[in-house]
Amino acid sequence: MCAAVKYSLRGPALIPRMKTRHRIYYVTLFSIVLLGLIATGVFQFWPHSIESSNDWSVEKRSIRDVPVVRLPADSPIPERGDLSCRMHTCFDVYRCGFNPKNKIKVYIYSLKKYVDDSGVPVSNTISREYNELLTAISDSDYYTDDINRACLFVPSIDVLNQNALRIKETAQALAQLSRWDRGTNHLLFNMLPGGPPDYNTALDVPRDRALLAGGGFSTWTYRQGYDVSIPVYSPLSAEVDLPERGPGPRQYFLLSSQTALHPEYREELDALQARHGPSVLVLEKCTNLSEGVPAVRKRCHRHQVFDYPQVLQEATFCMVLRGARLGQAVLSDVLRAGCVPVVIADSYILPFSEVLDWKRASVVVPEEKMSDVYSILQSIPQRQIEEMQRQKWGSVSNPLFLPLIPPQSQGFTAIVLTYDRVESLFRVITEVSKVPSLAKLLVVWNNQNKNPPEDSLWPKIRVPLKVVRTAENKLSNRFFPYDEIETEAVLAIDDDIIMLTSDELQFGYEVWREFPDRLVGYPGRLHLWDHEMNKWKYESEWTNEVSMVLTGAAFYHKYFNYLYTYKMPGDIKSWVDAHMNCEDIAMNFLVANVTGKAVIKVTPRKKFKCPECTAIDGLSLDQTHMVERSECINKFASVFGTMPLKVVEHRADPVLYKDDFPEKLKSFPNIGSL
Amino acid sequence: MQSWRRKALLLALSASWLLVLLGAFPLLRLAVPTRPRAGASQGWPRWLDAELLQSFSQPGELLEDAPELPQGPRGGSCDWGACFDASKCRGGGLKVFVYSAAGPVSETHRRILASIEGSRYHTSNAAEACLLLLPLTRDSSAGECSPVPPQWNGGRNHLVLSLHPAPCPRTFQLGQAIVAEASPTVDTFRHGFDVALPLLPEAHALRGGAPGQLRQHSPHPRVALLALAEERGGWHTAGTNFSACPWDGHCEQDHGPEQTHPGATLPNATFCLIPGHRPDASHFLQALQAGCIPVLLSPRWELPFSEVIDWTKAAIVTDKRLPLQVLAALQQMPLTRVLALRQQTQFLWDAYFSSVEKVIHTTLEIIQDRIFGASAHPSLLWNSPPGALLALSTFSTSPSDFPFYHVQQGSRPVGRFSALIWVGAPGKPPLKLIQAVAGSQHCAQILVLWSSEKPPPPRWPETAVPLTVSEGHRKVSDRFFPYNAISTDAILSLDAHSSLSTSEVDFAFVVWQSFPERMVGFLTWSHFWDEALGGWGYTAERANEFSMVLTSAAFYHRRLRAGGPGRSRSPQSATASIRWRQGSATCPWCPPASVWTQCSSRTRCPYYARSIAAWRSPRREQRRPQPYSRGRPICLGGAERGGSASSLRTGQSRRPVSQCGRSRLANHSPSAPRGRALAPPSGPAAGCSSPVRGARSAAVRCRR
Repeated sequence: MCAAVKYSLRGPALIPRMKTRHRIYYVTLFSIVLLGLIATGVFQFWPHSIESSNDWSVEKRSIRDVPVVRLPADSPIPERGDLSCRMHTCFDVYRCGFNPKNKIKVYIYSLKKYVDDSGVPVSNTISREYNELLTAISDSDYYTDDINRACLFVPSIDVLNQNALRIKETAQALAQLSRWDRGTNHLLFNMLPGGPPDYNTALDVPRDRALLAGGGFSTWTYRQGYDVSIPVYSPLSAEVDLPERGPGPRQYFLLSSQTALHPEYREELDALQARHGPSVLVLEKCTNLSEGVPAVRKRCHRHQVFDYPQVLQEATFCMVLRGARLGQAVLSDVLRAGCVPVVIADSYILPFSEVLDWKRASVVVPEEKMSDVYSILQSIPQRQIEEMQRQKWGSVSNPLFLPLIPPQSQGFTAIVLTYDRVESLFRVITEVSKVPSLAKLLVVWNNQNKNPPEDSLWPKIRVPLKVVRTAENKLSNRFFPYDEIETEAVLAIDDDIIMLTSDELQFGYEVWREFPDRLVGYPGRLHLWDHEMNKWKYESEWTNEVSMVLTGAAFYHKYFNYLYTYKMPGDIKSWVDAHMNCEDIAMNFLVANVTGKAVIKVTPRKKFKCPECTAIDGLSLDQTHMVERSECINKFASVFGTMPLKVVEHRADPVLYKDDFPEKLKSFPNIGSL
Repeated sequence: MQSWRRKALLLALSASWLLVLLGAFPLLRLAVPTRPRAGASQGWPRWLDAELLQSFSQPGELLEDAPELPQGPRGGSCDWGACFDASKCRGGGLKVFVYSAAGPVSETHRRILASIEGSRYHTSNAAEACLLLLPLTRDSSAGECSPVPPQWNGGRNHLVLSLHPAPCPRTFQLGQAIVAEASPTVDTFRHGFDVALPLLPEAHALRGGAPGQLRQHSPHPRVALLALAEERGGWHTAGTNFSACPWDGHCEQDHGPEQTHPGATLPNATFCLIPGHRPDASHFLQALQAGCIPVLLSPRWELPFSEVIDWTKAAIVTDKRLPLQVLAALQQMPLTRVLALRQQTQFLWDAYFSSVEKVIHTTLEIIQDRIFGASAHPSLLWNSPPGALLALSTFSTSPSDFPFYHVQQGSRPVGRFSALIWVGAPGKPPLKLIQAVAGSQHCAQILVLWSSEKPPPPRWPETAVPLTVSEGHRKVSDRFFPYNAISTDAILSLDAHSSLSTSEVDFAFVVWQSFPERMVGFLTWSHFWDEALGGWGYTAERANEFSMVLTSAAFYHRRLRAGGPGRSRSPQSATASIRWRQGSATCPWCPPASVWTQCSSRTRCPYYARSIAAWRSPRREQRRPQPYSRGRPICLGGAERGGSASSLRTGQSRRPVSQCGRSRLANHSPSAPRGRALAPPSGPAAGCSSPVRGARSAAVRCRR
């Protein structure tokens, strides 16, 4: 199971100190159970962020010293599990409200040894697995030792295996817990439910309203949105170290490793093997093993002996058939071995099915179709099998995934970043104000030593003009999500970009509306891999490709302002402010990283007055500037851990651009080049 | 002297005080233990003898499960394996037979029937059906419901469908029948067996449906934070700064910007609070349509299609017992989550809920997914655009086979294409074209589809890539048949008379790779509303906008070929005349055309309407900011002229409008010569010409 769970962890691991694999397992198990509860609804809001847990030196005691509790024969028994329980009927949310950090707090009852009237113990005090599970909870941030602040209560009575329990007495032990209260907010863990002859699919111990995290739930016993289905822990796969196997074809196509199977299933399997020959391997229990060889670690086919669970790695698909119980420990072994499980157990609730999409990592086949299982599996394309073998659960998503076209009437907000070039600024304002879709103009006055010109001196334009004074001269100020931005589209423009015509800007806005999740800009730049230096290089020369647009003139969604200001990874923001450079490269990285899409460059190349464009003018090549920009790219790529920028070889032009067509009939005639 | 001594004493005193103060605190800290509850239990103890603990199960115990026969269903409950006979569905897949009404056909019944008859599931033969559908409808004439149907058989393989709540009392036991009803209570709902439907209003559209109201991604800054569903219908909006007063549906305090809109049905707020009682479920759909994030307060009903739809991505299910926490959490919800939830509401509305037809098809698709088992839609296909009704599982269940999920999957479409050349009537082998296409570095194979009367020539030119000639049935839509021979995602569809250069092919393919969900082509058309004819017309004349590209030279994704009936129609051929009737009941699903309109990635058709008059008008008039009108009148030019506007509005009220593409793509070659315009056989050249590519960038680089 670990292999699968590893990818499903949404929060960070709970505990910094992980000693054994068991420990990781239990930590994961517990956090997934909590996640499951969160997914069921009641805890939707609780942030499940983790702080570093305090390193307490925990008292060491012996299990033999735990206090003994005698249960009178007539002590009360809880009612049977209430099948109609849901979060809003059986769960007391009021207990979970009053702690300062709004975190779910979990209390563990202290360990006791329960004996009946005649002094016979009710059960084994505690199993190794349950001890580790409770240790994991106790080490996590969810733990509290204050019973009054707790939202969830975990009894220390071990009910993992029903076979080891005396049902009535265990129920009595539960009922006398100090905060039992019909089991409200109590969480029980059980992996082997039921027992002969009927093998119920949920724990038979009467438990009233207690939540149950159980292995082997069926649709009959599972309380949707209340219980949590967990995998049955397999001690075997935790003991054995299995190397990672990449996706790809394996020696056997289908393998069955379970030993205790119903004779009917055994017959079906044998028939499968007879029909499909060596690609199907049906293993059985070994009968003639020499002394000292653990039988659980070996499987046999005729006279061939295989190591278990290693043999699972040799197969593409591994059968997980129901036994008497629905939940089978072999599922954990199979997943750890990187074999794709073929689950044949009708009505079984797969582990964590509320938060995991099992269709992406397993094949579920109805029992009645077991004879067709080979052809069903054969029909799965190889690419999909490889995806299943990777067991990838997580995925990245574009924050603006819906292809909405924002209304044209809304227009855009132009944000002009300026320091003191007032004359040039006024020209830019006058030019931009001619664009029909401009809705508002925001001037970010980045000079603290000088006041912006008086109101009367500003150009008179048809849209509202607002001047924002900043506290510090930082480049990041241009990407601050100002409250004044009411439109979705933002045009970032420098105070010296006077060469863009109104047609060009309007056209850029139209293109942005078509692609609201992208950066749409005018001057394009490229990143290149320098093989000699083994690092990234910034390129502003004429190229066939672009991967960035300069934010000296670019349209983008205002949401990216929010991301830039509050969610920029690493120290990029402070780096940009310290170097007074590369804010545009940072924005390009950010947008490409969250959307996975390339920028869009509009209109042909123009002469821009920007520092690195001087090279084109043939004046002087500002070498240091280029080196600095290249450094930015390398720095950002290392912070992002990848190169998110995408290279494209096309730009957008108006439909009739340069066509032989009357200029006055073109929508955007005034689009020029160099 | 004395003063000096006094001063010294004072100094010494204060110095010693300072020392004491400085020294005492660390000492104090040492003296008092850091943990406030020193004696209390400090977490779960580390047992000294933990090594001696036994495992919860004996080594053999897990393996030696006593073999036991599978259990059958218990009590009156049903689950999929026990109560549905999937063996009937082998072969033909899900075939649905609808019982006809005994008496006069009620309106609801008629609508259910209409939406199934047009679908791929329908069969008129009860014997070959694997699912028998029994609509429970409120019959206006007779007081009682449909009687027990003839093939009832205890309800096995029956789907009892009641679109609207509280139909007439049932005269028979439902037994093993799947119940699909609107907003079923959680207590009786059988997970994985029953299907939860949304609570539809009586006047819900049969087809097409009103589009979602969301027009922009982020909430407008001035819009209210909360709207509360009111018992008598309608919504009550409140500003951002209010307490928990609207909790019980009545609010005595006056909080400024609050207002009630009894008439307005759609809420205008970021979050919509919906109480958990069953009748309030009708508010749920309104919130979805409005793009208002539903906040459900302890719902007692099952959320619609909860089996496949991940509602945690679109709605918030919370506890009504925690008013203050919920309000605080809504106010502090990060923008990222708000954005994602809002978009998801819209996607779900458009994909599964906006019409009766969609609701019923979704129900059937869920049942089909259960039958398919292993080859059902994965959750990603259900929960991301364009939705499971459009990403057909019969085509593939792997997201990377579709053009829609590359971003989520972090993948790219495979870097090769197959060229499909359709040879029509003249029957001349397009030798030049084959050479040009075969010269492309991205070309994987060429298929020639011979549809001419003449027999194909025996010899074909030598090409670097495999060339296959197959004879078609002389039908125009042959070219869209999903041929198995096509192995690549990208298909370049060509007519024999198209003339392209290798560079043009290469460039178009690179553009397609950036937009795999769109069609990328050379020749464009635009459609317009022809008032004289009262219908849609198209023109190949050059215009500032276009809405289609011709498949005589265009790239598209393989998946578009496999479009199911009732969804995307195959694009018409170059010679077909496209004309749509005004107000026709079916929305003619978008031909997956157009480079720059957002066609194929959504579920609705982006018809751009523009009359010729508007096209001829001076451009200033065209560019006057126009109100965004998706779902309202299409014909912008026509509507402005009054007379016919109202009729257009009513007739076309279901038609989404979008702006046409106004841009085209060009290479980045610095001084690229203008490319040749394509020379199509008919009509003036109106193409995006693609300039000849300049030399590749000289610098060495590694694209990642």
